[in-house]
Amino acid sequence: MPIDQQSTAKWATVVIALAVAPAAAQTLPADKPARIVSLNMCTDDLLLRLADPARIASVTWLSRAQRGSNVADIAARLPVNHGLAEEIIPLDPDLVIAGTFSTRTAVGLLKRTRIPLVEFGIPRSIEEIRGHIRAMARLVGESEQGERIIGQMDERLAAMPSGTGARPRAIVLNPNGATVGRGTLVDEIMTRAGLDNVAATLGIDSYGLLTLETIVSNAIDVLIVSSARDEPPALATEILKHPVIERLSDRVRIVSMPARLWNCGTPAVAEAVELLRREADAFKRGRATQ
Amino acid sequence: MTPRRAVGTRGASAFGYAGLIALLVVLVIAFFVASLAVGYAPLALPQAFRDAVSGQGTLAALVLTELRVPRALLGALVGFSLGIAGAAMQGLLRNPLAEPGITGVSGAAALGAVIVFYFGLAGTVPFALPLGGIAGAIVATFLLYGLAGHGAGTMTLILAGVAINSFAGALTSLALNLSPNPFAVAEIVFWLLGSLADRSLSTVWLVLPLMLAGWTLLILTGPALDSLTLGEDTAKSLGFNLGRLRLMLIAGTALSVGSAVAVAGAVAFVGLVVPHLLRPLVAHRPGRLLFVSGLGGAALTLAADTLVRWLPIRPELKLGVVTAIIGAPFLFNLIYRLRSTA
Repeated sequence: MPIDQQSTAKWATVVIALAVAPAAAQTLPADKPARIVSLNMCTDDLLLRLADPARIASVTWLSRAQRGSNVADIAARLPVNHGLAEEIIPLDPDLVIAGTFSTRTAVGLLKRTRIPLVEFGIPRSIEEIRGHIRAMARLVGESEQGERIIGQMDERLAAMPSGTGARPRAIVLNPNGATVGRGTLVDEIMTRAGLDNVAATLGIDSYGLLTLETIVSNAIDVLIVSSARDEPPALATEILKHPVIERLSDRVRIVSMPARLWNCGTPAVAEAVELLRREADAFKRGRATQ
Repeated sequence: MTPRRAVGTRGASAFGYAGLIALLVVLVIAFFVASLAVGYAPLALPQAFRDAVSGQGTLAALVLTELRVPRALLGALVGFSLGIAGAAMQGLLRNPLAEPGITGVSGAAALGAVIVFYFGLAGTVPFALPLGGIAGAIVATFLLYGLAGHGAGTMTLILAGVAINSFAGALTSLALNLSPNPFAVAEIVFWLLGSLADRSLSTVWLVLPLMLAGWTLLILTGPALDSLTLGEDTAKSLGFNLGRLRLMLIAGTALSVGSAVAVAGAVAFVGLVVPHLLRPLVAHRPGRLLFVSGLGGAALTLAADTLVRWLPIRPELKLGVVTAIIGAPFLFNLIYRLRSTA
């Protein structure tokens, strides 16, 4: 799914600005909203970390999936929505949080009501994650909890010393052969873990598609495969199980990355950095003993 | 179009038949090599081949043996299956428009494969994926024969195909919607248009035995199909069992098309274009048309699959887009010529 990065960046700024100081056109939420609805899996994640579940009227059904969600246990106890305005309006929410790229129809309808609505973009760096957490924490009246979460994330990130020596060459392989290039959160996570993102040097901005041929012939050191274990079958994930990846494993370190750690900009990215750092170090040790 | 040759030229056409097969084999080999040579990574084919043969697991050898060879093999197998099945269906229904795609047999095969794949059977039961496609193709072929067999006109055949296609398409869409995997819904594009991207050797082994069985059944019907052109009564009097012939044609078509669609999606028009082009070259004998249509189908599919990678369009076009662009004008032409008789 190629996304125009420039306009993404522009909108992300506008939207964060909105989140910090909601525009006058939209009704302002209460200081401590008590019937909050989230329409996006990534905003679900942050919201459930910040606000008491008793104040949340509904999150997306996607957040209940144990495989893909960091907050499945809490989401299992809450009512869920499928991003439809018809589901939202009867809940009489005092705050709706949506993503800038999902549920556009529902968002369009909700904008014509008096329900306070705030949209969050896709963070492209860890600094933007901090901004998102602060903005949402302020919205739901939980600024202290927001700072606490940011503090915990930063502590984990700071605990990892900056890597030395050559950076192993790595590529991310997502379902459908999608990969992640420059100017993304994933790129920053890889860099922090001491890896060199080959997709970025291949000229891929944001997101792009790679063929298995390109991946095999690029002489990479680490292949980060979006983990798809126990997932119901789809052609999109067949590429992750192609036998050529198995054949590569004697010269390339194959890393399985749970998508929930870095698909959304949440504090879980600290865990993604730790995971990749361990793998990068293991690769370097393996090379040193050779 | 070449006028139908007189029976007296059989000797000459027999030489022509062998020559035609030789020519088509050369074409298949040429496009097979082209398919190996074209791809996404710069690859020195001779060096990669030497590495692969000498057992050196270089990256070039991996690209060749794990990615390019399976893709080219599948292109040839899928193309052969669609070509021979098109010729067989045209013999069975005695209509030049009968083709797996147009008649809905491919669509029904896709439905069978989709049900098996997305509900997890393909990973647990051996051969489940092609068998699902074959089951779908068998149902559709019987249905088609029931609706449009027995010398029904072109109009009935096309309408039966439209009905089977839209019904199978709707159910495929329903099955994909019901899949618990969020990626599934978008994958209808693959099942409707077909592609050979990122296939592996295991896919080749999965379909090869079933395809070979299908091709054998179809080629065995050759003499009976030839006699059928003289009329059902004459064929019977020559000792051919027509009931058995129909069953062999239906089973052979279903095995070929079902396996092909299960691994490559519904690649359209190969079964229409190839027999249409080759029919005059085999003196309009439906029995002889079978094998050459298989070879022609393999050559066309390999060429189309090479083209999708050679064109600078990324992500690559679906294979069915190219075969439809080549094939649709043939369909228009056939319909135009059949107007008066329909």
